[in-house]
Amino acid sequence: MAAVPFERIDADAPQLVPAANAILTVDDIVKRFETPDGVLTAIDHVSLSVAPGEFVGVIGPSGCGKSTLFNVIGGLLDGYDGTVKVAGERVRGPHPAIGMIFQEESTFPWRNVLDNVAFPLEIAGMPRAERYDRARHFVKLVGLDGFERRYPAELSGGMRQRVSMARTLAAQPKILLMDEPFAALDEQTRLLLGDKVLQIQQQLKQTTLLITHNITEAVQLSDRIVVMTYRPGKVKRMVEIKLPRPRSSEIVSSEAFGRYVAQIWSDLREEASRGLDDEESRKLHEGEKQ
Amino acid sequence: MSAAAALAKNRYFPTAVGIGSFVAFIALVELLIRVGVINRFIVPMPSDIIAAFPRVIVEEHVLQRFLLTAGEALSASILVTIFGVGGGVLLYRYHLLRLATETWVAAVAAAPLVLMYPLYLVIFGRSALTIVMMGFSAGLAPIVLKTLEGLSATRRVLINVGRSFNLTPSQQFWKILFPAALPTIFVGLRLGLIFALINIVGVEFLINFGGLGQLINELAERYDLAGTYAAICFVILVSICVFILMERLERWLRPVD
Amino acid sequence: MAETGRLRLSAAAPLGLPLRPVTVLRIAIIVAVVVIWEAVSASGWLYRDVVPSLAAIGKALYVTLSDPTFYFHLGTTAYEIAIAMVIGGLSGLAVGILLGGSKFMSRAYEAYLYYLGPCPKIIFFPIMIMWFGVGPGSKVAMGAISCFFPVALNVAGGMREIDKVLIRVGKSFRANTWQMVTKIYLPAMRHPVINGVRLGLGVALIGTLLAETKLSNRGIGFLVIQAYSIFNMPQMYALLIILFVIAIGANTLIDRLGGLHDIKRS
Repeated sequence: MAAVPFERIDADAPQLVPAANAILTVDDIVKRFETPDGVLTAIDHVSLSVAPGEFVGVIGPSGCGKSTLFNVIGGLLDGYDGTVKVAGERVRGPHPAIGMIFQEESTFPWRNVLDNVAFPLEIAGMPRAERYDRARHFVKLVGLDGFERRYPAELSGGMRQRVSMARTLAAQPKILLMDEPFAALDEQTRLLLGDKVLQIQQQLKQTTLLITHNITEAVQLSDRIVVMTYRPGKVKRMVEIKLPRPRSSEIVSSEAFGRYVAQIWSDLREEASRGLDDEESRKLHEGEKQ
Repeated sequence: MSAAAALAKNRYFPTAVGIGSFVAFIALVELLIRVGVINRFIVPMPSDIIAAFPRVIVEEHVLQRFLLTAGEALSASILVTIFGVGGGVLLYRYHLLRLATETWVAAVAAAPLVLMYPLYLVIFGRSALTIVMMGFSAGLAPIVLKTLEGLSATRRVLINVGRSFNLTPSQQFWKILFPAALPTIFVGLRLGLIFALINIVGVEFLINFGGLGQLINELAERYDLAGTYAAICFVILVSICVFILMERLERWLRPVD
Repeated sequence: MAETGRLRLSAAAPLGLPLRPVTVLRIAIIVAVVVIWEAVSASGWLYRDVVPSLAAIGKALYVTLSDPTFYFHLGTTAYEIAIAMVIGGLSGLAVGILLGGSKFMSRAYEAYLYYLGPCPKIIFFPIMIMWFGVGPGSKVAMGAISCFFPVALNVAGGMREIDKVLIRVGKSFRANTWQMVTKIYLPAMRHPVINGVRLGLGVALIGTLLAETKLSNRGIGFLVIQAYSIFNMPQMYALLIILFVIAIGANTLIDRLGGLHDIKRS
């Protein structure tokens, strides 16, 4: 993978912005919410960019605004300051070049696997034969060939997430945006599915932005990791993951892997415990109010 | 934030819009009737209807009629709660019976029992008893079904908690199964009450006997247009009060959900 | 779903009979009912003819089903109910989607539907007669307003219960409004919609039939009241039996149709 030249633009904040061949540019996003308790700043001046073919992981504690960032980039949220650009074009709503994979269970229970995967093609008006062909290709890509006529209720959690993945990939987005796609799965399934994702990403040279709270997952899959602070979310640090490619899940037992995880955890622990304290005092308040 | 935006964010704004649009609609109807676009012999002026309210209340002994209908509804409710919930518990307890009869009960719930009112008339006579029995019959099946559903849907883990504490079957039922099933049972009671009330007021209307249902029938037959509309409004008001009351009762019995 | 300890009750023939215990119980119940019925009928304990013998009812059933004018009345009622369901159902669906999809609309108007729904719609019948005449129009109107409320309320509730992520999936693929409604909202809500339609059918039946008994010269409701007025009890029972069978059948049909949309309930 060609190295992307970085420029340090701000001595204080450790923000590194790659040069202008980035395919996704997130520039100085500020997003605030109005709650009954006042104004909440979820994201506070976050910038990052992703080069074509790159796999970038965004990691942070719960409550750091990761999901907000996901929704902002994906165009499902507006009312923020700053810009999001895809291949130079400003994003103002769900963009055809961005494919989103959600954290929750999102397969349509009333459609079988093939119909689920064909959904975006159906929406775009692709003719029947063509879209089923394309859907079948992607069902095979995620390793679910043979299951085309099955319904989500007959599949395991990991298989359902693969269906969601195939569905998003079938639309052939320039950028894949994933929000903790493996959150509902057990550790071992995660690792194996991570392998699958790596394999697919390498095969398709798919530009990917992964949002997660799982350090192992982030280090396993990413070329570069953006570490976020607890709310209000800022970029704390960017870490380049210099592990060799192609990778497989065996890498998790290597020394280098362990060092990356330790480094990121030391950054994260501070933020995570701030988050935990904040959460506990909030719940205490809520209970007292009742 | 501008004043308009602040208003829009006010928590009472939607409710106010709802009430406001309703009042505006009534005013519009009044206008259209006065102008002659709507035939005043088919739709009386809202102002006339409101004026008819006091007359209807006093002359037609609305209070007595209300008490009569309410009494019928209350008797039917009590009967149907006891036998409906009891029946549901019975079916839950005796699995074989449930397997044999559940589909029959569901069938009864789907059938328009109200058409049997001539039979009830003959058996129970032209009295309040007929009306109570009609309400009872109509409300029974939905309550049995919902009670059964609620009890069966108790999460396995809660039952296991009870067993791990060595609860007797009776304790298991009263302390775990029944409270867990209450929300669904209440849904069933509301449904049963709705069907019972439809039958009670409906039969009163049809056989021209009893309380509020009969009132509407009489006023309609006398071509007292404003009075008929006023009586209908009155019945709607009563129905609303009954169900708000039921909601309060449920809220009181189950504080947090 | 049978719990573990009770599974064996569904097992075949533990009693040594060639039948399952459930079937045995059902037959026993039916036999008991028949015996009690005939006993009451023969004894004349209730006013005469209120409990006619099963043979008399059977005969009346045969006579009714072979009478061509019966089918005319059946057709009238079926037609009234069908149109009522279409009008009430579609408007209920539209209003439900509107209310369920917008918090504002829901807070403003849903309370009206919620509290007006349980109100017995028969009270509107005199108004319906004035507006739509004494013919099928007023019956259809009764059925339609009865059907409207359960559908609207169930759809509104169903809209709110749709898994939000499914809506986000649709938006992320830039589906337009029509696509969102037909490909996401409606399939995701199929259970509440089916339930609403079933309930709607139940109350539409009541509304239409009551209207027919009160003021009509055709339809099943009319036939029932006609049989009663000449005290032809076996005929009345026969009509009621036919009616209940049709109502239950329609109910089951709707259920099955709803089930066709998902092979396994998830």
